[in-house]
Amino acid sequence: MNLMLLAMLLALLIPMYEAWQDDNIWQKMLAFASIATKTSILILVVSVLRDDWMIGVVGVLILSLGNASLMLLAQIIKRLNQI
Amino acid sequence: MVDIISYFCFGLGIVFWFWGTVPLVGDRSVLFKLHSLSVADTLGSMSIVVGLLLKIPNEWPLLILALISLAIWNTILGYVLAYCSSSRE
Amino acid sequence: MIGYLNILLRLTIWFLLTADLSLANIIIGVAVTLLLPRVATSPGAIKDWLRAFWEVVVAIPQAYFEALEIMVRPHSAEAITMERVKPQRTPGLIFLDIFVITFTPKTIVLKYHEDGWYEVHRVTPRRDK
Repeated sequence: MNLMLLAMLLALLIPMYEAWQDDNIWQKMLAFASIATKTSILILVVSVLRDDWMIGVVGVLILSLGNASLMLLAQIIKRLNQI
Repeated sequence: MVDIISYFCFGLGIVFWFWGTVPLVGDRSVLFKLHSLSVADTLGSMSIVVGLLLKIPNEWPLLILALISLAIWNTILGYVLAYCSSSRE
Repeated sequence: MIGYLNILLRLTIWFLLTADLSLANIIIGVAVTLLLPRVATSPGAIKDWLRAFWEVVVAIPQAYFEALEIMVRPHSAEAITMERVKPQRTPGLIFLDIFVITFTPKTIVLKYHEDGWYEVHRVTPRRDK
């Protein structure tokens, strides 16, 4: 279980690196979308590992709130590009 | 038995995560990366949540909700990103 | 018809979220479901809805299958194709169609054209050039 958590953290580092090194805004958005999903899954796994379902509830709330803000941001960037 | 299946789900999910996230660093188009991200973030994460569901079955209502919202939000975000990044004339 | 589906969806989310089947909770859930404003939409045929839901169920194993296929055989070429929308789709059904197409890893809907076409981006195994 601990090993799995380490592997997941390692996978989380990849999009972080990408968000830092790429200047194209859409590539950055992709990386951020990936980070968002991965962290919320990580929260769920940590909650099971620590046997504390309160943390898990937070993870589920984040997941069901979803990536709404990223969608809004994508629309705004598209508009800005059109001007 | 259930434990083995749940660990299989975790393993599959993590393999999907790595396979789908590594192309993100490369030099491909946004749309191509979006395809591999949908493998990683939607299918991989769904498989991990199913693994959790087998591990703690008494929390099923919230985990099912997580599963459904994960699938819907990620897919629609993929569509919105594809639409916004491709139509810039 | 779509009104019933809408109410059913809200009730499902409510009960999954609260995970509580006491009488008080059921009353609150039903009240909130009925009180939330509803948008008038054109109803689709129940048969179309059932088929669309069935397509969603089938899409899940198919998505995993396609993911494995992409992993085994590298798909490095990209192509954009147009797909025809089935006739007489209501907005709700079109949403489900887009969901199914985008959910499978090989295809992503880029754009929905008002005159009845989806612009679909897909990865293919080989470069055709």
